[in-house]
Amino acid sequence: MGLNTASEVISFAKKLEENGAKLYEDLAQRHAEDSETLLSFAKENKKNIVQIERAYYGVITDAIEGCFAFNVDTDKYTFKTELAEKTNYSDALERAVEMEDKIIKFYSDAAEQSKSLMADVPRAFRMIANKRNSREPKLRSLLNKGG
Amino acid sequence: MAILEEPIKEVLELKNYINGEWVESKSDQVLDTMNPDTQEPLAKVPMSTRDEVNAAVAAAKEAFPEWRQTTPLARARCLFRLKELLEENFEELSRVQTQEHGKTIDESRGETRRGIEMVEVATGIPSLMMGYNLEDIASGIDEYVIYQPLGVFAHIAPFNFPFMVPLWFSPFAMATGNTFVVKPSPRDPISQAKLAELIDEAGFPPGVYNVVNGGADAALMLCEHPDIKGVTFVGTTKIGKEIVYKKCGEHGKRAIIQTSAKNFLVVMPDANIEATIPALMTSFFGNTGQRCLSGANLVIVGKDDAFYKKVLAAFVDTASKIRVGYGLDESTQMGPMQSVDGKERALGYIEKGLEEGANLILDGRRPKIMGDYPDTCFLGPSVFEGVTPEMTIGREEIFGPVASVMRVESLDEAIKLANSSKYGNADSIFTASGKTAREFQYRIESGNVGINIGIVAPMAFFPFGGMKDSFFGVLHGQGRDAVRFFTESKVVIQRWL
Repeated sequence: MGLNTASEVISFAKKLEENGAKLYEDLAQRHAEDSETLLSFAKENKKNIVQIERAYYGVITDAIEGCFAFNVDTDKYTFKTELAEKTNYSDALERAVEMEDKIIKFYSDAAEQSKSLMADVPRAFRMIANKRNSREPKLRSLLNKGG
Repeated sequence: MAILEEPIKEVLELKNYINGEWVESKSDQVLDTMNPDTQEPLAKVPMSTRDEVNAAVAAAKEAFPEWRQTTPLARARCLFRLKELLEENFEELSRVQTQEHGKTIDESRGETRRGIEMVEVATGIPSLMMGYNLEDIASGIDEYVIYQPLGVFAHIAPFNFPFMVPLWFSPFAMATGNTFVVKPSPRDPISQAKLAELIDEAGFPPGVYNVVNGGADAALMLCEHPDIKGVTFVGTTKIGKEIVYKKCGEHGKRAIIQTSAKNFLVVMPDANIEATIPALMTSFFGNTGQRCLSGANLVIVGKDDAFYKKVLAAFVDTASKIRVGYGLDESTQMGPMQSVDGKERALGYIEKGLEEGANLILDGRRPKIMGDYPDTCFLGPSVFEGVTPEMTIGREEIFGPVASVMRVESLDEAIKLANSSKYGNADSIFTASGKTAREFQYRIESGNVGINIGIVAPMAFFPFGGMKDSFFGVLHGQGRDAVRFFTESKVVIQRWL
């Protein structure tokens, strides 16, 4: 599905963050030994939503082209968050890595598309993408630890 | 994408807000406010009687002496509380605007943000309202100027930005110590009622802010009322110039009259086309073309046929893909016209364009609407090519999503073309050249000039007003101009013997 308006892109970003947080919360419940790291990701996802909404609601005016700012194909960034009963920890962590890659790609693409139009929103997107880059090594270390 | 939840779920019976109370009107004349997307009724709006208008003005007059004596800092604190309440209710206020007006949710949120910015700027009133002085203008004699509020001001609101436009004035009027009466547009008065609820909650004393619903009759009563010191109006040149401005003159009132427009957007051969197109879309089709800052005439400059065709093709192609639908659907890029009358008017101009020989290269008369909504108020984007300034569609304000494309060979020709319009509200140029931009800025006869900007909407701390037949008055709304408009300067020369 293609997204063009700022409102739908912000809602989509929120959904990605919420879905991601849910995955980490489910994983933390199953693997108490790593819950601190996993729950910190979930908590950060919720902070990201606040950051994005603050940027959007703070600058959305007729001075920026809100209805024409994006051309986001959501199919590129969708991922599964439901964990089947039998999913082993390694597979789940691999899925988390894949999810993070997709979310980073989403934020980077959306920031690039709207950099000349949406004022502070692309900056918030870039900051979140950059912050997320640190997650993969942490997830890999959980994997290497025997996850 | 899902449709966002509608905050108005049942038909409201609007009341007037007078002297801090919600008062039912005794008028037997009532208009229905409709949701232009769904055609469902949203509210019943009374056409207030003369007694009710008088009561609102009397309440404001009575509240004035005490409010004037309230310290600027205390007045600012009321505005700070209002700002907090506006932030808390941001989403509801925005959705109400979409329901009553039809604009997209991004546009409504933008309108809410702009309104809040006015309140934020007005909270700086202790600094903004300061006078100045000079010692020893003669031996032992000092001189200073103080700014004082005048009394009751009124605002007659337009339908196109039902929430924001009254806020161009009321925060500055109240911050400077005046009292205020607003008459919302009867087409979409609900967000003003919501705003009054928040003003009440913010703790403004009774009578400082009043809302009286009504139509042209109520507006005229306000313009003629002897206890009103000044009127601000946003609407058409016909009404603004010939009625409101004239009446204000006859009755010795100050006036800010912001009126119609026919804005030119000039695209130079060195413009960044990729970045220009979204700006053009927002300008021509944002708010469904119903704003005084909307692009109306797209002027493509240069002798190069390939460049002309490239810009035109990109413009038409992007416009043709605009998603038309209910504003509470987040994927909607353009909502309906606010009323059937507005749609009929725009359709009339399209017919006129065809009759006068312009070439309709994108026909928005029967748009594809996302979702199952009646087409009563919907129009799609329309683009005419080969428009001349002599044609009706090239010179009159359409106030709908209709673009007229013109072609000239040089910047000089483009400026002369734009300056030939009787209006002068907002003109823009798209170029990579600073020299070209400066020349445009220097020569264009327009109150708001855009350089690579589609919608030239001044921020709350800058004045907002047009030139020529787009503005009547001296001082403009917003910022320091508004502070001056709502105050009288008094000079004191003193000598102590």
